[in-house]
Amino acid sequence: MTDKNRTLQGIAASPGIVMGPALVLTQGAQVSSRMLYSPQEVAEELERFSRAVDQTEEEMTRLKNEIAEDLKEHAHILELHLLILRDRMLLEETQRLIHEQNYNAERALQQAFLKIKELFQRIGDKHIRGRIQDVETVYYRLLGHLTGQIGGRLLSSSEPVIVVARDLSPAETTQMDKARVLGFITERGGKTSHTAIIAHSLEIPAVVGLDSATLEIESGDLIILNGLTGQVTLNPDEEAIWAYRTTRNEFEIFKAEVSLGSALPAVTSDGHTNRVLANIEQPEEVSLAHDYGADGIGLYRTEFLYLRQRQLPTEEELFQDYRQVVAAMAPREVTIRTLDIGGDKFLSPLEYAPEMNPALGLRAIRFCLKEQKIFRTQLKAILRASAYGRVRVMFPLISSPREMQEARQLLEAVQEELRQGKVPFDPKLPVGAMIEVPAAVTLAELLAGYADFFSIGTNDLIQYALAIDRVNKQVADMYQPLHPAVMRMIRDVVQAGLKADIPVAICGEMAGDPLNIPILLGLGVKELSMNPMAIPVVKRIIRMTSLREATEFARQALSKATEVEVNDYVTRKMNDRFPEIFRFGRPLANNLAP
Amino acid sequence: MELWVENRLGLHARPVAKIASAAQQFDAEITLEKDGLVVNARDLLAVLALDCPQGTRLVLRARGPQAREGAGNIAALFARKFGES
Repeated sequence: MTDKNRTLQGIAASPGIVMGPALVLTQGAQVSSRMLYSPQEVAEELERFSRAVDQTEEEMTRLKNEIAEDLKEHAHILELHLLILRDRMLLEETQRLIHEQNYNAERALQQAFLKIKELFQRIGDKHIRGRIQDVETVYYRLLGHLTGQIGGRLLSSSEPVIVVARDLSPAETTQMDKARVLGFITERGGKTSHTAIIAHSLEIPAVVGLDSATLEIESGDLIILNGLTGQVTLNPDEEAIWAYRTTRNEFEIFKAEVSLGSALPAVTSDGHTNRVLANIEQPEEVSLAHDYGADGIGLYRTEFLYLRQRQLPTEEELFQDYRQVVAAMAPREVTIRTLDIGGDKFLSPLEYAPEMNPALGLRAIRFCLKEQKIFRTQLKAILRASAYGRVRVMFPLISSPREMQEARQLLEAVQEELRQGKVPFDPKLPVGAMIEVPAAVTLAELLAGYADFFSIGTNDLIQYALAIDRVNKQVADMYQPLHPAVMRMIRDVVQAGLKADIPVAICGEMAGDPLNIPILLGLGVKELSMNPMAIPVVKRIIRMTSLREATEFARQALSKATEVEVNDYVTRKMNDRFPEIFRFGRPLANNLAP
Repeated sequence: MELWVENRLGLHARPVAKIASAAQQFDAEITLEKDGLVVNARDLLAVLALDCPQGTRLVLRARGPQAREGAGNIAALFARKFGES
C-alpha cells in the first residue's frame, strides 16, 4: 500500500490533467532507427521478417481453427487478417524498404503500415476507412513477433488507464486509443522527444522523464497526471481529487476557448492583421498545420530527406515531397528553406571531416554554394513545386549580399533551364534571406536590395549574437531571447524591411512562446512562424492585444538595460494581462522553458 | 468486363476479402479499374482503398491461363451481391 498523495516530478510533455488507474508496462516494443550496413545484414533482416510473418500466420490460423462454431463472425475477421498479412502493400513494401532503404525490419514494417494508414485516411466511406483497424491489429501482431513480444500490448485493457512505461516508441504512441488511454508516463524522453510531440498532437496528456516511474507506481494505483506541470500524484486523497477536478475544468474551458479561435485570422483588437504560420519538417505535418489553424507554412525545413538515407535524394523525390506540401496548403503560402546543413552531417558519398566548430563551419548557404550540384537539384525541385501553389524560397545563414547574389544567380540559371524544358514554375517566386548572423542584421538595409523578404531565425541569431551554445549546460541559462541585444536586432531588421517595403517574418522558437508575442508585435513583426501546436494560443494572444498596447510594451522592454529587468517586466506584465498564460497558455503551446 | 457494385454497403471488408481470395485461386492476373485507377484484384488493401460504395462502376480485366475462370468467378460474386442485400 502506497502512501496517500505521494508526488513525483517528471517533465511535462503534453498538456492536460487526467485521473485514473495506472497500467504499468514492464517492457517496451521499441522501433529503433538502426540502419543496415551490409548486403548480408539486409539478407538476414529479410529472413527475420519472413520468419515473423510465418509465425504470425501460424498464430492466426491456430486462433481461427480454435474458434467455436457459434462465434463464426470472429473466424471471418481472422480470415480477413490473414489476407491482410499476406497483402503486398504490407509485405512487399516492408521488404522493399529493408532492401532499398536499408531500414531494419521493424522500422520498415512501421513505415509500410503508416503508408497504408495514410492511404486509408483518404477513403470517403466511413466503414471502409475504419478497416484500418484490422490492418493495425495485424501490424501489431507482426511487430510483436518481430520484437519477440506478444502483439497488441496496449490494446488489452478494457478500462481507461494511465499507461506507465520505461519508454514508448512513436509507433506505440501513435496507436494509443484515446478512449482507452487517458494519459501516459514514461521514464525516458524529454519535452522534445518524438513520443512527447506525438502525444501532444493526439492531445493525450503525458509526463516523461520520470526516472523511477515503473518502480514507484503499481498497476491499479489511482494516479493524477498533470501534463501541465509534470507532476504525478499517487493515491490522491479527497482534497487532492477535488483540486484536480477544479484545475481540470478550468483548463478544459481554456483549451476550448483557444481552439475555437484557432481558425480565425490573427487580427489585433485594433484591427491590424498578422500572419501566424507553421514550422514543419515533413509532408505529413501539413495536416497538423491545418488542424491548428496555420495561415501558411513559414518554415519548411528540408533536411530530412538528406539525412534519412545514404544516397542523396533525387530531384524527383524532393519534388514529390515539396509538391505534396505546396498543393495541400494551397492557396496558402509555403516558405521553403533550402538545405541548412553542414557537410559533416551527410551520410552520403560526400566526404567531409567532422568540424571542430560546426556552428561556424561549412554549412547552410555556404555549403550549398560550394556543392552547387546538390543545390541546383534542390532549387529545381522547389521551382517545379511552385507551379502547384504559392511558394517562397529562403536561404539560411546569409552573412553578406554576395551570398544572396550568388544564390539568386544559380536560381535564375535553374529557372532558365526549366523554361527551356518547358517545365512550369512560378516566375515570380519570392526569394528571401534568413537573418541569423549578426552581420546580416548590420547589413539588413543592403541585403534588402537582394531579398523579397526577410525571415529572422532567432535560434541561430541568439546563439551567434550572445555567443552562447545552449546545449552547453554551463551557459545554457544565458541563452535569453529577450536579451536587450536580441530585441534591438529584431527591431533593426524590421525597420530595414519597412524601409525597403519587404515583409519580415520570425521563425525561431522565440516566435512560438506566447510570452514573447506582444513584444514581437510591438517591434513591428507581422509574420510569426512556430511549431503548429503553439498557433492557437498565439492567435488568442494576438486577438486580445492591441497594436498600440504592444508598441508601448515593446518600448518599455527596450528601455531596460539588462535581460533580468526585461524578464521581470515581461513576466509581471503578462501575468497581469493574461493570467492564464503561465498556468495553461505556455504548456498548451508546448513551451515550458522558463 | 463491366461490373456494378450493387450491395448496399459497397465493397467493404467482407466482399473484398471474397474477391481477393477468389483472385488468388486462379493462375491469372485479374485487375479492377475504377475511374482510371487500376488495382490487382488479389490485393485486398488496394481494392478496399479504391473506395467503392453502392452504385460504383468497375471494369474487370483478366489475363493468363485461367483468365476466363477467374473473371467468371469474380463476376459471379458481384452478381450475387456477395451474398448480401
